[in-house]
Amino acid sequence: MKKNKIVLSTMALLAVIGLAACSKKSSSSNSSGEVGSSINLAEIYHNSKATDQSATKNSTLKIAEPNSAPFQGLTDPSLITNAEDTDVFAPGGNQPGNIDGLFNYDKDFKIVDGGLANQRLNLKDKTATITIRKDGKWSNGMPVTAKDIEYAYEVIGNKNTTSQQYSSDFNAIKGMAAYHAGTAKTIPGITFPDGPTGKVAVIHFDKMSPSMKYIGNTFIWGAVEPYEYIKNVPIAKLAASAQIRKDPLFTGPYKLDKVVEGESTSWSPNKYYYGKTPQIQHITITVVSPNNIDKAIQSGKYDFTSPAGVMRGTDYKELKNLKNYTPVGQPELGYGYFGFNVGQFDTKAGKNVMNPKSKMANKNLRQAMMYALNLDAVNKKFGNGITWRANSLIPPIFAKYWDSSAKGYPYNLSKANKLLDEAGYKKKGKWRVQPNGKPLTIYFGAMTETSVQAAEYQDYLQQWHKVGLNVKLATGKTMEMNSFYNLLQQPKQDKMDIFDANFSLSSEPTPTTLYGQSATFNFSHFVETKNDKLISEMNNSKSWNDTYRTKIFKEWQEYMNEEAYVVPRAFNYTWAPVNHRVKGYDISNGNSEFWSNLSLTSNSLD
Amino acid sequence: MWKTILRRLLIMIPEVIILSILVFLLAKAMPGDPFTGSINPKADPEQIHHLMKLNGLYDPWYQQYWHWVVHLFHGNLGNSYQYQEPVSRLIAGRAGNTLWLALFTMILTYAMALPMGVFAGRHEGQLPDTVIRVYTYVTYCIPFFVILVIGIWVFGYILGWFPTTGSISPNANGWAQTIGSHLTHILLPGLLGALFGTVNIVQYLRSEVIDAKHSDYVRTAQSKGVPSKDIYRHHIFRNSLLPIAAFAGYSITGLLNGSIFTETVFSYPGMGLLFVNSIIYRDYTVITALVLIYGILNLLGTLLSDIILSLVDPRIRID
Repeated sequence: MKKNKIVLSTMALLAVIGLAACSKKSSSSNSSGEVGSSINLAEIYHNSKATDQSATKNSTLKIAEPNSAPFQGLTDPSLITNAEDTDVFAPGGNQPGNIDGLFNYDKDFKIVDGGLANQRLNLKDKTATITIRKDGKWSNGMPVTAKDIEYAYEVIGNKNTTSQQYSSDFNAIKGMAAYHAGTAKTIPGITFPDGPTGKVAVIHFDKMSPSMKYIGNTFIWGAVEPYEYIKNVPIAKLAASAQIRKDPLFTGPYKLDKVVEGESTSWSPNKYYYGKTPQIQHITITVVSPNNIDKAIQSGKYDFTSPAGVMRGTDYKELKNLKNYTPVGQPELGYGYFGFNVGQFDTKAGKNVMNPKSKMANKNLRQAMMYALNLDAVNKKFGNGITWRANSLIPPIFAKYWDSSAKGYPYNLSKANKLLDEAGYKKKGKWRVQPNGKPLTIYFGAMTETSVQAAEYQDYLQQWHKVGLNVKLATGKTMEMNSFYNLLQQPKQDKMDIFDANFSLSSEPTPTTLYGQSATFNFSHFVETKNDKLISEMNNSKSWNDTYRTKIFKEWQEYMNEEAYVVPRAFNYTWAPVNHRVKGYDISNGNSEFWSNLSLTSNSLD
Repeated sequence: MWKTILRRLLIMIPEVIILSILVFLLAKAMPGDPFTGSINPKADPEQIHHLMKLNGLYDPWYQQYWHWVVHLFHGNLGNSYQYQEPVSRLIAGRAGNTLWLALFTMILTYAMALPMGVFAGRHEGQLPDTVIRVYTYVTYCIPFFVILVIGIWVFGYILGWFPTTGSISPNANGWAQTIGSHLTHILLPGLLGALFGTVNIVQYLRSEVIDAKHSDYVRTAQSKGVPSKDIYRHHIFRNSLLPIAAFAGYSITGLLNGSIFTETVFSYPGMGLLFVNSIIYRDYTVITALVLIYGILNLLGTLLSDIILSLVDPRIRID
């Protein structure tokens, strides 16, 4: 599979939030200068040809899902754990990644009216009122009800569930913690003013968070469950049931005609869809090995690859000049980063503890290591424009929050040397020693991935050697993904001083679970009052004001860059080659009718 | 013979028990767990612990093993962590695909290799023999995955004669289309597998034929004036089949092993791909089930080979 579980599931998490790939900028404003990429991919493919009604009606839209393994076959957003399922069942939602999604959202991922349901937050009463549109129906004609909203929380929070989506923020819903622990049979914090078969559900919270305004937040689940259809299946067995795998229901523009286990899905218009009537009458999505995807596209077998699918820089190099295809993309909802190990996780206290005497505790040392790397050159050579040096820990897909002016760590060897000299890391022979005169060997942890990455790792080591730092690969070699994360996830590890890893993000970018004091994903184990303060301020009462919240996000980015406990390494494009017979292809965030807007201009692929 | 078969089957019981313990321990000894690295950064780490606990992954190995054995005796191989469905259903789905492809490949292989082996042996040192030997050596020398990649590129993508991915077209409806689509999907991997998998059978058969045609009973038949065609058909061929028969048991039980290369290149969902991915994702239940099945099939294969040998050659008795 094309990913290490986190990298692989780099896309997977998108599934989790029910929001795979959506960018925030219009293509015209998406300049390469802003994001630092050498190329400028548009989010829309503008096809000037007229729609061919006959082709749109009779021809099949063929989509390839690049993946080296069969997909799992889960259609329920509460149960999906990977990107492949989100991709192959995408036409069941109004836009890629939004299967059975409740809400539409704007370019900044802010929830807006007009989707399957509208949301109103009441700060005084601490409630979220979700009202389903009157014509909201499942693909079998069954109405979408208030109970369908609530049942998603039951599925996710059930004691015996197989879902991985339960977030500690759900505990803010009254009675949810007791339900999750199995001590209560219902969730009293979710009520139905018009009864469970009505259209309104009210969620009562202990506290409100500004993040609730955004899709993918961890307080309000953004999808529905067909309660009447699945109510007789025990929640623990839901994932294996025919209702979820073989004959699932959807609320989006297409209904599933057929699923070939692990291989392909076929779709036709859902006549009960509340939104714009889909134009294309037949869609197939087929898994294609990433090793063959270039050849498959070159031989004109597919109209495009999954909009949120994983297409690499090497694929871009092969396909960018194809006559009949145009690459369309947007910045990825994630990033690659370097982390410095400066502490441990105290499992008893449930929080990270920083060790001020740890090898990497010196800020100058961390900064120098980053200035010593020539990431721009590395990405120029290997990134093919699809990967570029990241300048902040908020990726550019969050246009509002991303600090485009942040410098990050551009190559500056003399500055690196100066920082080390200033901090007392003097050269003794070939290598620098610690300020106390003891030898300094730094261990770099990296995962075994592609040959390109192996070359990149070698470049990093050479650059560090140039400034006199004796950096070696942790464990003597790159590590297989499971070994790497097994080591990294241990509460205390001293084998890796610096590591190269990746995070995929939800469409609500508050970094509490990644870098907070009690975050287990804070693999660097850094703890600073200012960090906790800034993260907390992102969702305090003042942050209901967007300008204030944006200011805090930018402050946090500046702070993180300065402290360099975790340093951004790379941003990527999520992109797809789109055949020239496709019209209406638009992956920008504001497009809530991705599938229905598609049509064809010819019977056969151009 | 029946007594021996029964005895062999009984001996298999402790073998399978030891195998199952080894498999279980080795699977657990791998770094990581089914949830390593795959957790949503927004998820509560408590939920991960909850799922680990729910699945008994914190229990001592012997407890986990015992639970597994108890479930096994109830016909329950557990649930796949990765696919979130019963392992038995998952394997059954993949086994069908693998079986069809392997059977098709095996039939084609034998259909090509048997005549080639006899022909080469019969015309030892002559042009047909040289051609066949060169062919088998060349096919033996080229790594199979290279052949698959070239094959799919030329015949699948450039010429477009064959489907290039999966085991069936998403548009196949009705039983006739379904069977037809399955067949067209196994055609190219099957043909490539057969064309490049004949070397062992051809070489064994060729050398056996050469040995046999110089043996006394052949000379006797020749001196009696038995036509050459009959000698080859009734005497040489049958005797030359012994080494092939010795492998037949393994070949039959090996049908389910699946080919990792073929399945990867053709995105063909079979047992090989399932096995590799279960290891990558630490899908313990699938790993242990598959290795156990493979182990049992191998033991059965040995037995089957012995039985076939004794049937083919009356001189060999297994009691």
